[in-house]
This record gives sequence, structure tokens and C-alpha cells, in this order.
Amino acid sequence: MSEFALEVKNLVKKYPVHGGDEKVAVDNISFSVKKGEFFGFLGANGAGKTSTINCITGIGKISGGEIKVFGYDAVKDYREARKKIGISPQEFNIDIFAKPKEILYFVGGFFGLPKKERQARIDHVFHEFGLEKYADTPFRALSGGYKRRVMLARAIVHDPELIILDEPTSGVDVELRYELWRILTELNKSGKTIFLTTHYLEEAERLCERIGIIFNGKIVALENKAELIKDGKTVEDHYLHYAGLQKNGV
Amino acid sequence: MNTIGLYALIEYEVSKLWRVWIQILVTPWISALLYILIFGQIVGRRIGEISGVSYIDFVVPGLLMMNVMQSAFSHTSSSLYFRRFVKNIEELLAAPLSYMEMVAGFVTGGIIRGLVVAAGVYAVAFLFTATSVAHIFLFIFYSVSVALIFSLLGLLIGLWSENFEQLAIPQTFVIMPLTFLGGLFNSIHMLPEKFQWFVKINPFFYFVDGLRYSMIGISESNRTLGFVLIFALVFGLGFLVWYLFKKGYKIRT
Repeated sequence: MSEFALEVKNLVKKYPVHGGDEKVAVDNISFSVKKGEFFGFLGANGAGKTSTINCITGIGKISGGEIKVFGYDAVKDYREARKKIGISPQEFNIDIFAKPKEILYFVGGFFGLPKKERQARIDHVFHEFGLEKYADTPFRALSGGYKRRVMLARAIVHDPELIILDEPTSGVDVELRYELWRILTELNKSGKTIFLTTHYLEEAERLCERIGIIFNGKIVALENKAELIKDGKTVEDHYLHYAGLQKNGV
Repeated sequence: MNTIGLYALIEYEVSKLWRVWIQILVTPWISALLYILIFGQIVGRRIGEISGVSYIDFVVPGLLMMNVMQSAFSHTSSSLYFRRFVKNIEELLAAPLSYMEMVAGFVTGGIIRGLVVAAGVYAVAFLFTATSVAHIFLFIFYSVSVALIFSLLGLLIGLWSENFEQLAIPQTFVIMPLTFLGGLFNSIHMLPEKFQWFVKINPFFYFVDGLRYSMIGISESNRTLGFVLIFALVFGLGFLVWYLFKKGYKIRT
């Protein structure tokens, strides 16, 4: 068995643009995430974070390179690879008319959970995210914070080994952010590998063991957090350095 | 094969029937009631018999087939388009489901809706006439295979559409006219001879006529040609839809 939860080798992702040209969103990147690691993937808007995630999860097509999830090829052994992944995307890509209990019931089914086991997992996840009261409320009628909770609950309903979170705390209040940090830390302590993208650099500094920074589709830094900040600078200082910016102004 | 996943997708598709059941189920049943009342009872009495059966018995199979086609098509086209529109298709793409299983899940939902709506229309018709089924296996074959064809067509339109207007175009400009011109309300012999060729090249004619034969034993078409057409459409459309899913046409970035 591989010691890595995720191995990305020479990944390229291109998008067609008007005029027959191609835009390179991810430019030949390689990195790996160890089992049980809390990995932060940072970058500006349009840097290539979501494109990378889409390639890992099967939402996007890979233009070049190779991705392995717990040793399974993300394209050839897609069933095994995807069973191990739970994804919470940045956007609310949910059937807005469905109720949380229906959303989790069906998604658990898509991932092959038998009904009995599924119901036990739904009960557990509802409890974990404090969603019991809102199980029968249509998604569109929930507040932003509860919508985000449903997104995260959906990501872990099938008990995946690798949890991919694309800006999970964007737009949530401070209380919920702390609550989500607690849940993510507990999940990581229980052995789950977490792949997190965020714009909140203090969030990455607080939660992640290792950090990758991507700019213009290329990885410009990939280090242990402890190694990165041993010079006394914060993750934010390093991020701004790679972005060519300075604190308190350009 | 991910049988639990496929079953969950079918359950999900079928669950949509009950969300807006008045629009999905009651509306076509009321429309069918009005068609049967006006064309079957009022106009039909003046027309008399066609090929030895009452006009209402001649019309009912066409109404059933029209509802099968429209319901199956509406279900898959709107379901897939809505999933694309809110990016909810990503939920399926990230799951351990094959493209064949995704297509099968959508299509089964479409077939079930088509058959449920048709069963209601049959029940409505039963209030006015002793609707019969002369050949039960043919009746099932035509109902299911045509529902399958229109579910697949619905998926094609659900993939192709860029907005709600495009989603509605085929229903208004293709399915409805070809159904009405496919012998739904009239025998082909009621048309002037020089226009009969137009009905014979309309594939919908073979669907309506096939179901009519299975119910009242009267056929005006070449049924062998009808079978060939149905099998060709099932396999041709099935392959095309599967291929487009596999290529990620408008569903994968």
C-alpha cells in the first residue's frame, strides 16, 4: 500500500478559450500528501487550486500527468479512488429544493453505502454538524452557515479517507469558523487526510502541517509549516512574498 | 458495478415525481380527460367508427403514447439541465458511478415517469370506454421502448441546452407537431393520398400505431419497419448519449 493519500505527478490542466487557443490553468505540477496529513493548498483566485481539485475528484478532465489516490489511479481505477474522496466545493452545487436528509441519503447511496449503514452515518454526521433540527428544511431555506454545514456533511457522509475542502469557511461567521476548525481538527486526529484550500492564511497556519502555494498554475512553495515559519515570519508573510506583495500595501 | 449507487440515482430521479406531483402527474391526467371528453365523446360521436372500432377507442392509444413520450422526455431533459445549471452534476461526477450507470439512472427515472403518467391516462380513459389490451407483451414493449427513446432524447437536449428556452424548443416544435401528425387523432386513410407519405416518414407514426395495434389490434403501418426503427433508435441514441457523457460534453470542465 502507498504511504501517500494523494500523489500528483506532472499534472496539466488546460481549458479551451475563444479563438481556438488553450489556457493553461495547471502547469505541470507535482506534489504528494501523506496519509493522515493536514495539507494546505494556497493561492490567489485563478491560481489553479480549484482546477487541481477538479482533476483529483473527477469533476474535471486531466489534460496531462497522473493522479493517484491511496495508490489508485484517479482515471483507470476511478471507482476505488473516488470512494476514498469526499469533496466540499467552494460553490453550493446542491439540489436547492432537496432537504438535507435527502441530500445525504442519496449521496451516501451514490458512494455505495448500504441503507442501514447509510442511515447510521447520516445520524452521526447530522449530530456532528448540529443539523438534526434542519433535516427536513429545504436547502434553499437554510442560512448561509447551515448551507455550508450541509456541504461539509455531504462531503463526509460516506466516511472518506481523503477530505478535500475548497474554501470551506468562506462567507461564514466567526463562531461557525471556529466550530468548523474544531470538527476538521477532530477528523484529522481520527486519521483522515485533509486537503484544504483557503484564502484565510491564519486558518492555514493554525490547521495545516504542510503547505503548498500555487501561482499561475505552478507550485512555488511546498514545505512543512514548521520549516516555512522557522525564520520568524508568518505563512502570510511568505505568501505575500511569493505573490510579489508586501504587508500593508503593494 | 455500483448497484447501490445506481439504485440511489433511480430513487432520486423518481423522488422528483412527488415534489411537484400536481404539475408532473395531475396536469397530464386532466389534459387527457379533456382530450377524451372533447375528441372521444363529443367529436367522436359524429365521426363514428374507424376500422371497425369507436373513435374513442382509436384515439386512446395515441393519447397514451403522447403522454409516454412527453413525460419521459421532460423528465430527463429538465433533470439533467437543472443539474448542469446549478452544477449539481458534479455530485455524480465525483461519485464512483460509471457513465453507463449515470445514463441508466436518468433514463430509468424517465421511463418510470412516462409509465406512471400513462397509467393515469389509461385509468382516466377507463371511465369512458372499455379500454382493452389485445397483446400485453407488445403493449409493454412499445410503452417501455418508446419511453426509453424519449428519455435518451431528453438527455441529449438536457446536455445541449444553454438556457430554459432551448430546453423547451424540442417539445413545442418537434415532439408535439410530430405526435399530432403521426396519426394520434386520425387514420392515415383519412388523409389525401398525396399527403400520406409524410405520415409514413414520421417515426412517431410507428410508435403510435404500434401501441394502437397492441391495444385494439388495428395497424396501419409496416410493423417490421417499426421494430427496426425502435431498435435502431434505442441503440443509436443510447450509444450517442453514453459517448457524450464519456467525453464530458458540457458536463465536465
